Amino acid sequence: MASERVEATGIDRPPRGFRLVARYALLGAVTFVVLFPIYTMVIASLKPGNRVLVRPLVPDSFTLDAFRAAWTDGHLGRFLLNSAIVAVAVTLFQLVTSLLSAYAFAFLRFRGKRLVFAVFLATLLVPVEVTLVVNRRTVDQLGWINTYQGLAAPFLATAFGTFLLRQVFLQLPKDLRDAARMDGLGHLGFLREVAVPLARPTMAALVLFSFLSSWNQYLWPNLVTTETDMNTVQSGLRMLRVAAINRPNLVWAGTIIAALPIFVVLLVFQKHLIRGLTAGAVKG
Amino acid sequence: MIAARRSPTARRTRPIIVTSVVAAAGLLAGCSGSGSLLDAGNDPTTSTVATTTSDDQGPGSGGDSSTTDSSTTRAPTTSAVAVSDLAPCPTAALDAITDPVEVRFWHGMNGVNETAIDALVDEYNAGQDRVRVVADNQGGYEAVIDKFLQSSDGSRPDLVQIPEYGTQVMIDTGAIVPAQACIESSGYDTSSFLDIALRNYATAGVQWGLPFNLSDPVLYVNTKILEAAGLDPTTLPANFDELRATCEQIVASGAAPTCLSLDSGSDSGGGWFVEQWIANAGLAYADHDNGRTAPAEHVLWDEPGVVELVSFLAGMIDDGLAVYVGDNSSGQEQFLRMVSDQPAAMTIGTSAALGQVIDVLGGGTIPGLTVDDIGIGPLPGPGPTPTAVPGGAALYAVAGRDDAVVAGAWDFMRFLTSPQAQSTWAQTTGYIPVRSDAAELDPIASAYRDDPRYRVAFDQLVATADAPLAVAPLLGPMVQVRAALATAMAEIYGGGDVTATLADAAARADALIADYAARNGG
Repeated sequence: MASERVEATGIDRPPRGFRLVARYALLGAVTFVVLFPIYTMVIASLKPGNRVLVRPLVPDSFTLDAFRAAWTDGHLGRFLLNSAIVAVAVTLFQLVTSLLSAYAFAFLRFRGKRLVFAVFLATLLVPVEVTLVVNRRTVDQLGWINTYQGLAAPFLATAFGTFLLRQVFLQLPKDLRDAARMDGLGHLGFLREVAVPLARPTMAALVLFSFLSSWNQYLWPNLVTTETDMNTVQSGLRMLRVAAINRPNLVWAGTIIAALPIFVVLLVFQKHLIRGLTAGAVKG
Repeated sequence: MIAARRSPTARRTRPIIVTSVVAAAGLLAGCSGSGSLLDAGNDPTTSTVATTTSDDQGPGSGGDSSTTDSSTTRAPTTSAVAVSDLAPCPTAALDAITDPVEVRFWHGMNGVNETAIDALVDEYNAGQDRVRVVADNQGGYEAVIDKFLQSSDGSRPDLVQIPEYGTQVMIDTGAIVPAQACIESSGYDTSSFLDIALRNYATAGVQWGLPFNLSDPVLYVNTKILEAAGLDPTTLPANFDELRATCEQIVASGAAPTCLSLDSGSDSGGGWFVEQWIANAGLAYADHDNGRTAPAEHVLWDEPGVVELVSFLAGMIDDGLAVYVGDNSSGQEQFLRMVSDQPAAMTIGTSAALGQVIDVLGGGTIPGLTVDDIGIGPLPGPGPTPTAVPGGAALYAVAGRDDAVVAGAWDFMRFLTSPQAQSTWAQTTGYIPVRSDAAELDPIASAYRDDPRYRVAFDQLVATADAPLAVAPLLGPMVQVRAALATAMAEIYGGGDVTATLADAAARADALIADYAARNGG
């Protein structure tokens, strides 16, 4: 975009065709760097077990054995279910708590609002490590070790989501709020009918962020589970890695299986994200 | 970020917008920080929790009276304790039950070893109907120790497998039923157990844990390379001097670009193996006979003998005879170096990896290397002949449980240490049977006869003299102390000064010991 303007300054530039080629060459190189490891992982997961360490980049034979074995021997089905339950719960709760608190900070007037909001934001500055041990103990004392609530509880609310949505709400014209009130909408009505639809792109971003970070958690699930059945997919992958030292293709297959839900969520919400963004752009 | 120009509260919120932008920046930093933490596994909590919990959580656990004792009168756990003062082991309670009891068992066995332990659990559960054992793999030894120490009484298992370097901290929790109490109340005959295995987990007359899996480090050799160098693969180096001579010939002949693959892992080259070499040199790892005659106060890593043996290893690397493969977080790095593009001819690994190595090579995953190409020799050390400090782990029944559960846990412990179970276990894993009569039973008896590689670790342990320093050092914060030495070894293998680095590490270890003693009323 900026290049068009630079061109107008009259400085000698390489011809347009050359720049196009150079640009695509660069993009191609970057794409290669990003995709090559994924390619080798997919290929390796499809090779028969005894051919895994053999060099050729285009395998001479394909098999889905590794996927089958990773699924059954690695108990990935159970682990995926656990991860899904936790990630969905965390995402939903974060969305609801963020919407409600953001609404309060954006539209309500109450004593000490600035201070409370500042305290809210300050929690973002506290690293996970600081609360880890205390949270572990709390969950233990509640008897929540090896439970879904134990896995999800510390992540059900996030100041990040509150902050994100509050910023969107603050942007909404005051007139909207007044008009809604004239039409007899209360707080929840306004939130549901007006604020949420307008905040949709931001909400999509929040959903993506929450889901991804919950899905990719490793340390916390490890701390609060001691039974194999309650493991999430990331610790399941670790188990697979140590259990299948002689079958690296199993680990690669497992990694692909574990990453698939993330791809799906990304694809679904990316559409929302883009649609929402363009809708916002012409709002005026 | 968006300025809240149209908001009715714009003027008032502006200062907070500034705050929030700063906070958002903080968030981004926080995110990347937490991300790497998540990726890094549970290391960050390890040291914090393990050093603090035994006093914080100990009192909430098991028999409260015995815990109080442990922080006051029983602190020097190396002195004699009357078994009647300890948690009782009501082994007869199992006869009175009407419904089967469930025993939760935490272990740290992975890979082939996990499969083997699961098979034993299944066999036990199928063979009787009074006890049902549920085994949970916690992912490794350190994870078992950490989780056990972090957990409240209710979240702990009923039976736990703890490695030899966790013995002292287990004693200090006061949360376990000493095996001694169970042995006495059930009249369990331990006379055929290897004495060195029992002593590893005993202090002054009290058997704390019941040894279950026993291992020692051995030399893994690629015999094809040795043959190519004109060496006899059946005669492997027995001490440091022979090791160096062998390696010089291998590298000089061009049979392999490097000879010995060395790591600095806590549980391997940076910690456990060094403990072996110190003992092999007839030296002490820590004062008061490795903490066995009185609680250790200082480690003795800066003694000339230790500096000398570490200098020998560093010299091997300097002279291109050995290659350093890092901190070995996977526990396999030193082995993988033997099958890399620049293969090392030999490495050092626990005998408990033998089952896994044979499994991998047998599966044909490594092109050009078969099961028969691997030779096993005893661990060469600074002393004239090989010796071994027993490693592995012991079983502990957890205190504060129903009598029937403790009795059930003990019943399972008896099964796991029975001659037949030990023989099967040793044959699949490469562990050494904890009792000599197991070594005479099939399948391990025929494995010992037909495949001498299985026997090396056993012979090495049995040949070890009955010396006070021949058993594992007994230090409360042993996990952290080991890690301190491993860090030092990594520095030294990376080119650091031996004497200065060891002295620094020793000072750090002494501080850990003093801190632990202060927290635990010592």
